[in-house]
Amino acid sequence: MTVTGRLLRVGLACVGLCSVGWRATELRGDEVRFNRDIRPILSDNCFACHGPSSAGRQADLRLDQREAAVEAGVLGPGDPQTSELLRRVLSEDPAEVMPPPEAKKTLTAEQKDLLQRWIAAGSEYEAHWAFLPVPRAIDVPAPDDSRGWIRNPIDAFVLDRLSREGLQPAPMAEKEQWLRRVSFDVTGLPPTLAELDAFLADDAEAAFDTAISRLLASPAHGERMARDWLDAARYADTFGYQADRDTHTWPWRDWVIRAFNENLPYDEFIVWQVAGDMLENATRDQQLATAFNRLHRQTNEGGSIEEEFRAEYVADRVRTMGSAFLGLTLECARCHDHKYDPITQHEYYALSAFFNNIDEHGLYSHFTETAPTPTLRLYEGDQEARHHELQQQVREKTAALDAARDRVRSRDRSTEPSMDGVEPPAAVAAYAFDDLQPSGDYRPVEGRRGQGIQFGGDDAYICADAPAFSRAAPFSLALWAKPGLHQPRQILAHRSRAAEDSAFRGFSLVLDDGIPVVSLVHFWPGNAIRVRAESAVPIGEWTHLAVTYDGGSRAAGVRLYINGRETPLHVERDALTRDIQHRAEWGDYDAASVQLSLGARFRDVGFKEGVLDDVQVFDRALTPLEAAAIASANVEPTDAMRLEQAWLADADCRAATAELQAARAAENDLISQVRQIMVMHELEERRPTHILARGAYDAPGEIVQPITPQDIFPLPDDLPRNRLGFAKWLVDERNPLTARVAVNRLWTQFFGRGLVATSQDFGSQGETPPHPELLDWLARDFMDSGWDVQRLIRLIALSSTYRQSSTPSDPSLYARDPANRLLARGPRHRLSAEELRDSALSVSGLMKPRLGGPSVFPYQPAGLWEESGTNQTYRQSQGDDLYRRSLYTFWRRTSPPPTMITFDAPSREYCVVERERTATPLQALTLLNDPQFVEAARAMAENLLQATEADDGKRLAAAFRTLTSRAPSDAERQVLSDLLRTQRSWFEVHPEAAADYVAVGESPRSGNVDAREHAAWTAVLQALMNYDECVTKR
Amino acid sequence: MNSRLCNGRPAATGLSRRALLSRMGGGFGAVALADLLLQDRSATAGLATPGALPALHHPPRAKRVISLFQSGGPSQLETFDYKPLLNEMWGQALPDSVRQGQRLTGMSANQAALPLAGSVFPFQQHGESGIWMSDLLPHTAQQADRLCVIRSMHTEAINHDPAITFLQTGQQIAGRPSMGAWLSYGLGSDNANLPAFVVLITRNKGDQPLYSRLWGAGFLPSEYQGVQFRSGASPVLFLNNPPGVSRESRRDLLDGLNALHGLEGAATGDPEVEARIAQYEMAFRMQASVPEATDVTGEPEHILELYGPDAQKAGTFAANCLLARRLAERGVKFIQLYHQGWDQHGGLPGGISTQCRETDQPAAALLKDLDQRGLLDETLVLWGGEFGRTNYSQGKLEKNNYGRDHHPRCFSMWLAGGGVKGGVTHGETCPFGYNVVSDGVSVHDLHATVLHLLGIDHERLTFKFQGLNAKLTGVEPSRVLHELLA
Repeated sequence: MTVTGRLLRVGLACVGLCSVGWRATELRGDEVRFNRDIRPILSDNCFACHGPSSAGRQADLRLDQREAAVEAGVLGPGDPQTSELLRRVLSEDPAEVMPPPEAKKTLTAEQKDLLQRWIAAGSEYEAHWAFLPVPRAIDVPAPDDSRGWIRNPIDAFVLDRLSREGLQPAPMAEKEQWLRRVSFDVTGLPPTLAELDAFLADDAEAAFDTAISRLLASPAHGERMARDWLDAARYADTFGYQADRDTHTWPWRDWVIRAFNENLPYDEFIVWQVAGDMLENATRDQQLATAFNRLHRQTNEGGSIEEEFRAEYVADRVRTMGSAFLGLTLECARCHDHKYDPITQHEYYALSAFFNNIDEHGLYSHFTETAPTPTLRLYEGDQEARHHELQQQVREKTAALDAARDRVRSRDRSTEPSMDGVEPPAAVAAYAFDDLQPSGDYRPVEGRRGQGIQFGGDDAYICADAPAFSRAAPFSLALWAKPGLHQPRQILAHRSRAAEDSAFRGFSLVLDDGIPVVSLVHFWPGNAIRVRAESAVPIGEWTHLAVTYDGGSRAAGVRLYINGRETPLHVERDALTRDIQHRAEWGDYDAASVQLSLGARFRDVGFKEGVLDDVQVFDRALTPLEAAAIASANVEPTDAMRLEQAWLADADCRAATAELQAARAAENDLISQVRQIMVMHELEERRPTHILARGAYDAPGEIVQPITPQDIFPLPDDLPRNRLGFAKWLVDERNPLTARVAVNRLWTQFFGRGLVATSQDFGSQGETPPHPELLDWLARDFMDSGWDVQRLIRLIALSSTYRQSSTPSDPSLYARDPANRLLARGPRHRLSAEELRDSALSVSGLMKPRLGGPSVFPYQPAGLWEESGTNQTYRQSQGDDLYRRSLYTFWRRTSPPPTMITFDAPSREYCVVERERTATPLQALTLLNDPQFVEAARAMAENLLQATEADDGKRLAAAFRTLTSRAPSDAERQVLSDLLRTQRSWFEVHPEAAADYVAVGESPRSGNVDAREHAAWTAVLQALMNYDECVTKR
Repeated sequence: MNSRLCNGRPAATGLSRRALLSRMGGGFGAVALADLLLQDRSATAGLATPGALPALHHPPRAKRVISLFQSGGPSQLETFDYKPLLNEMWGQALPDSVRQGQRLTGMSANQAALPLAGSVFPFQQHGESGIWMSDLLPHTAQQADRLCVIRSMHTEAINHDPAITFLQTGQQIAGRPSMGAWLSYGLGSDNANLPAFVVLITRNKGDQPLYSRLWGAGFLPSEYQGVQFRSGASPVLFLNNPPGVSRESRRDLLDGLNALHGLEGAATGDPEVEARIAQYEMAFRMQASVPEATDVTGEPEHILELYGPDAQKAGTFAANCLLARRLAERGVKFIQLYHQGWDQHGGLPGGISTQCRETDQPAAALLKDLDQRGLLDETLVLWGGEFGRTNYSQGKLEKNNYGRDHHPRCFSMWLAGGGVKGGVTHGETCPFGYNVVSDGVSVHDLHATVLHLLGIDHERLTFKFQGLNAKLTGVEPSRVLHELLA
């Protein structure tokens, strides 16, 4: 809802008129320029049908390239009389006029005039400014500067433009106003009174520089910078679809803070996030940074089609990279060639190929609480050292076992007993089904021996007493199977909770088109072992299958015997590093109820009409001869088989095996305690990327190779065709966009508006910047400085442009240039959601400035999460965590923190590079009534009453200054003292109300202040905290 | 002003509001500001604020929308789409010739069989129009001649999140404005003291979650997002003053704040200071207008009875339907109700009986109540969910128990009131209740039709986003269902 009634509508109408007027001024006497004047007209009105996109192009005419337009004979350069384009544009005939009536676009008289003048002047084209390389050097203008206004090149560009417009810069802002402004822009917090005093006391020009240095050195700087980047990176604490579980990605957020505080060069900031994992000897932070590309929403909604969502994740990475780094709307080319910018659909998918090459799955897990693969270990304390130690022990014990086995191998075994009569060992659990009663959809039938069990395909037979095995424990499973049908997939036996719904966690034996497949999975596909036999088992016949596993977490430790004979296995995955069990301490659902099950699995394809018999479980890996014995197979023992029997019989080997198992179990226990986070990690073999017709996952077309858009900047030959090459392409100084986009966003942080106002779109449909040379100069300087963010901040903050008062010399400028495009005054805009809350916490002394850590749960009206139905309960933090900076507030994408959303924070479901700023009554209600803000006022009031001299005037002045960074005027003092008087008289006669009011919030009161007096001051401070000068950066 | 007198504030502070106004001078929009400040603060009928559309594209048939969203995917086969063949073929497998390669969700894709299941609830024809409805909807049935039942809705998504996002925002992926946000943006508000777009969720239902993006503003300015009215003491977040702060005391505080803003405006000449003052005044008025709108204690007995036994239990669907009528009377443009619980993968007969019991009478009562106040003609009411359900049973098919999985190819909705023909059944599905055979209606067709009824050409309600003129109905062609318009 809008707040303003017809009043502001009048204002807006005025804005519209005025901006037209301003534009006319700007153009007076100027020649027509393609990029500034003509491209926006053509792009907006013509390119959709006559532009870069070949699909839907009308009359085979394109107007985005001069050559093509001239060839088609529509321009008539230099002669408006012969221009078909002009004739059609000026036509009154509905059948002739362009744009055609159905396009619902009409050109203004001014636009028609521009086109006419442009054609008369020869209809010259310019390449789109943003796709031209940033010049090696940009001439800094030297406008008349008799008053010495220019402090650095920024000012030269700005003053030059103002002079041409006949405008004067605004006077300098008061020193305290500048400090307030720069404190918010650099740290997100207001200056303290002590900081103000120190700054005001220092008359030297260097005081400004000192202040900036202090602010940049503050840890709060990284927090401030991170806040903007979290929006762009669509960072949140939950996955964002449907059930919306936790992502546990806050360590990445802490890395962002660290990166800014350490002033990591911006090119490295980009490279690490895009491809840190691929750098040589990548550090943990470099790998951690790549979580950037995993922060997109992910689903675990039951029944979702994996590839549909995986395709969506890849698309989100491309979109985010486009908006955040390149300022391009790449996603427009997902379904067809871009309508406005030179990006074909082919190029879109070629770009997406860079991000389509990790071992991931389209669904995360419902029954397990695990970071989707690929992941990075986040060791804490001495975990890493202990892990290395335990891994070393495993290696040593493995070597000891090998040595023991070698001793057996090398000794003379000719005198040992024959191996011909090997007896199978005792099973730890066995199921013969001879007493089976029908239940569910399975029933007893004739078995291999006695009765067997035939399955209906939907209900599993539960082997309730079979033991559980971790990834570190050896075991074997043997069974007789007789498939009844040919099906693409049939589950024979498993120890897991579900298929996709638990990321396939656990052990399974499946027939895949009849071929036995064995899996041991922590999280499919990136943390798993999967092996596949070579041929299918026959339908309608009994086959004996025995799987053995040695507990070593390697595919080589899995063996499969078909009818007693070991069969060669094809390894599909060999990367198991965490447990295959459901563990309650990880937050996995139903951990205790996961049991060995036969013939069916939750939402998987069952063993319909198939029969099993004699299922046996062993607590060690069977030897080949034992496997043969169980299958009653007549196998001629080889030397190798005999040797394995000898190992089994040898006491040293048995002891060494037991020690190895203990070491593996210890390693498994430790690694189970180490947290993980999603990151990027390349697949060794490139996953093919297809062009998807209309963007649909189920319409794959031609396979494309990873490459960058030709017309933006071709991928140099010396860069590898992978994500690392792409990252280096992004920060290559010949890339026309990255540096411009970066400096534009930093500029926005200070001025509330970019030099290019459309921060997310530098393409043909974006805004043409009013100061293109300044943007280029900043981009060039930024790159030349080694992408030094803090240097750029210093440059901006110290410029005269930034130091101007936000009140213009001439009030008519509000109307002439409402958005302050020309920079004839200083910045002025409402503080962000985070700044408002952090500022209240800061001035009240409630803030707990702890850097980083897990997200926290400050005040939030009860019931919001519960009402949304995600089965999540909001558990409000206690104590210090109520008062942490807002970037640490837990962010649930499907129900974001309401106070943040009310003040225009994005939902973090997708990349947003610039927030809007609205003014709504809900914001007023929040600042006045949210306990967080009421508590801040009452805490500040109590400090004021306890720590300062009992003088209303002095106290009011101090409070005013704390909240606005300046001293009040006499009129303001009068308003405040009137308000204090009326509030006092109110609470004087309503003492219970006073007691209630000052009890808001969890922080304790000292009890030394009378509640009535405290309440009156709280009200006055609330009024001040809602005062425009407190909520607006001026 | 009165509050100052009430708590004994001296009348002459030298900065009375009137003085303040005169100080700010003509260049500061003083006349309009005075008008804004001096209007009756207790008034519940606030000013209208215009939207982005300078004028409607054609005469509207409706002034507002009440959407009764049934979240989870109500089964069309137990409500509006009568398919006796499914009872005749009970238990037989879904023929491939009917399925025609339709993808299934992973929930039933791996099921050993897909047995057809007919409704266990009988169907009758109702009203003069003879619209088919099941016995689960006796009250709605009485309104048959007011309804326009669409049996040929179809969608693209097969999972809740994308499907409900598609129905509410016109796109499966997050990021687009919801229909209510589009209308709020385009049409503005008829009552600036209430949000133009209000969301009401049935309490304590659970089941499939609702996401705030469903009533979000997407890429539109956030002022157009829906405002959730919650049952309980604070219908709007932070609506109530802190404990111990009375309305008079708050007024006094705001008077002081206004005085500060007046000084600031005079000093800077910045027009945004006006917006700041207006923002706080409107908030103050909302603190009166919202409780007034949501307080049903003055509703007479016969009205409460009309909505059924739940009408006095705050947060029920019945109470929300009654509230919807009150908001409609007060000029709220888009009133979005959500009732969760229609996701019957198993135990459908029991589950859907409960759902219908909770929603049937209130929805019917809303139509009657709007009609008797002369509001139905200008209020468009929508009923339906995000997709339909399969004609085969998910899980075991038993005589009196079965489940149904998600089905995108056909589902039923109804429209009533504002400019829609009553007593109409539109579209037809095949005898298996699986495929649309005539007059299919896409989600975008529905959106285009809703906008049309409000006087908007869906092609011309646009917002510049990513260089495109983005619109609710997206880029694929969509069609206004002129044949359904009265």
